[in-house]
Amino acid sequence: MVRINELTYAYPQHRKGIGPLTCSIEAGEMLHVTGSSGCGKSTLARCIAGLIPHLYRGEMDGEVFVGGRPTAGTPLWELAETAGFVFQNPASQMLGTSVEEEIQMGLENLGLEREEIRGRLEQALDRFGLAGLRRRRPQTLSGGEQQKLALAAITARRPPLLVLDEPLSMLDVAAATELADSLSELARTGSTVVVFEHRADYLTGMPGLRVMPLDSTKQRESAPAPRPPMHAESGEPATLEASGLGVTIGGNRIIDGLSFTIAPGEVTAIVGRNGCGKTTLIRALAGLQAFEGSVTVNGGRPDFGQVFQNADLQLFNATVRTELLYRVKNPDMRIYAWLMKTLGLGRYENTPPLILSEGEKKRVALATVLMRGPAHGILLDEPSLGQDSAHKAMLMDICRGVAARGKIVVMTTHELHLAAMADRVVLLGSEGIIADGPPDRIFHDTASWERAGLFLPAWMSHPLPEGVTA
Amino acid sequence: MMNPNGFGMTHTITLAESSPLRRADPRAKLAISLCASLAVMLPLEKLLVFSAIYIIFIAWARLLPEAARQVWKLKWILGVLFLVDWLVVSPELAVVVTLRLALMAGVFAMFFSTTTPSELCRALVWMRVPYRYAFSIGMSFQAVSHIDAEWRSVLEAQRARGAFEAPRGWRYLPEQVRNLVCLTVPAVVLTARRAWSMTEAAYARGFESPRRRAYHELSMGAFDYAIMAGALLVAAALMTWR
Repeated sequence: MVRINELTYAYPQHRKGIGPLTCSIEAGEMLHVTGSSGCGKSTLARCIAGLIPHLYRGEMDGEVFVGGRPTAGTPLWELAETAGFVFQNPASQMLGTSVEEEIQMGLENLGLEREEIRGRLEQALDRFGLAGLRRRRPQTLSGGEQQKLALAAITARRPPLLVLDEPLSMLDVAAATELADSLSELARTGSTVVVFEHRADYLTGMPGLRVMPLDSTKQRESAPAPRPPMHAESGEPATLEASGLGVTIGGNRIIDGLSFTIAPGEVTAIVGRNGCGKTTLIRALAGLQAFEGSVTVNGGRPDFGQVFQNADLQLFNATVRTELLYRVKNPDMRIYAWLMKTLGLGRYENTPPLILSEGEKKRVALATVLMRGPAHGILLDEPSLGQDSAHKAMLMDICRGVAARGKIVVMTTHELHLAAMADRVVLLGSEGIIADGPPDRIFHDTASWERAGLFLPAWMSHPLPEGVTA
Repeated sequence: MMNPNGFGMTHTITLAESSPLRRADPRAKLAISLCASLAVMLPLEKLLVFSAIYIIFIAWARLLPEAARQVWKLKWILGVLFLVDWLVVSPELAVVVTLRLALMAGVFAMFFSTTTPSELCRALVWMRVPYRYAFSIGMSFQAVSHIDAEWRSVLEAQRARGAFEAPRGWRYLPEQVRNLVCLTVPAVVLTARRAWSMTEAAYARGFESPRRRAYHELSMGAFDYAIMAGALLVAAALMTWR
């Protein structure tokens, strides 16, 4: 189905690409492509779908054949009939003003009769459980629903090859498991499925799955320093107290009367279903979201640094170096050097941050917050997006280092392994906090997970990845 | 409201599902919009009459609150224009210019609160605009509705990392310029990325396929012909009025 001969690709402006790479993917195969953050998975996915070289002006050498045709010499619309591509961020690929229209658009381009379009549309809506949402605006769907819609819009076109770039990255455990099952079903019914994904647990064990590491030799740049050289201590350890915290947005009650305390030195992970209010809670703690009730740190106004889920919003300087040093008064260059080394950013010091991979941009955004050294700690919204397991472990090391200085660290995450490394896990549901405690207890409390509309997958019976200790 | 990716879900214009114009053919609505836009060339008395008719029309169409909201958004521009024209030229010109701008905002609100980008695209294709450009224009209007929410997201994100400070006064002009940079660069990049993602998504679904066949076809009904005829009659009456 896919044949790649000596493929190399380099983006303009010297941004690294991939290659040289030679491989082939057989028809009907299910392939899981793994690799560290920034190793070129998204680039390879675009090469297979033909978006590179048709839409990108980099330097490509070698050949890619899809369905026997060279991608470089075949019109993109024709390639799209063979290779369906699902992007990493479903929200950014929504083109229609309703769920129905989103699916119709791709079918119209196949030149099908109206009856055929109607039939395929209904089939796709039923298959992915979207029939009840057919008139909804795609932008108002949850992350899980959006990802299912993206898959429905592509599979309705019935391409023999499906290429998916981190389709599970934004999904909670229930939605990710459901989507992984859909992919397995597609492979079983004869489609060739190529998944580029960090969250391997959801795919491992699928019948006939082949795993292809893209960078088998690449390792983490260095082990983190045992104790980070953080800013000089200022004042007492920070204790956060939230009382009667409530948030209403557009008439919808997102958070209702939450009360909790977060002690200094604790790394707290907030987990829950897509759309349960995790991001809203973080925004309220950061003072970015209007809320009822009170949030105080040591009785006063909190001063947190927050890393957003979409790091693009926080970066704007010409180089990673200037980004980290922007508006930092009397920067401590020891911290700078430590952050650059620990976060694996050393080789990008003079690179514009906005051209890095998603995982790398997230690490730059975290570094900018840590360089400033907020008084009370850091808030991280889905910090593991686009990060490989080594970088997730490193991220937790950094969080522990910050917490060890008497600061507060709160993160939202769908990544259960990451949550299992925290000191405390808060399971959030539509009714508020469903369970709150150390990971050992929360990850054995199956009843609470069911109440939250989630479940504990079998691979979480041993929550910590190999080689990681709590 | 924010979605998980940092893009705002609030929209500049809400689709008015309860309006009778929501079900009207987009070509009829384009015709009304064109007539109303031509009316801005009328002198003051005729402009006042046309504006009154237009207000009655959009009140019937249950779009008055939306149109008022769009005009209200321009209050500062309208206010400044009104004052400058009054002081520099004449009160009459001040009223004419302000009224013209308000009318255009009302026309914009009427069309885009009852028409989806894909309906606009279909109308443009019917007008022989190549699908490639019609689709792009429709997508542009869809993207415009995200811009204000995106600016807010960027402002929040920069505040959250400590890059944005808001000192007031001339003494802090350099800081204010730097603030502008830390807001503008991500906002522009975000808009460009959104446009690029949509482009990629469109091509991944066979955009520019010569085989394309539309699922929905436009069809004018009696209601559409009636409102088009009404719009043309009003326009003709105002043009010939002595």
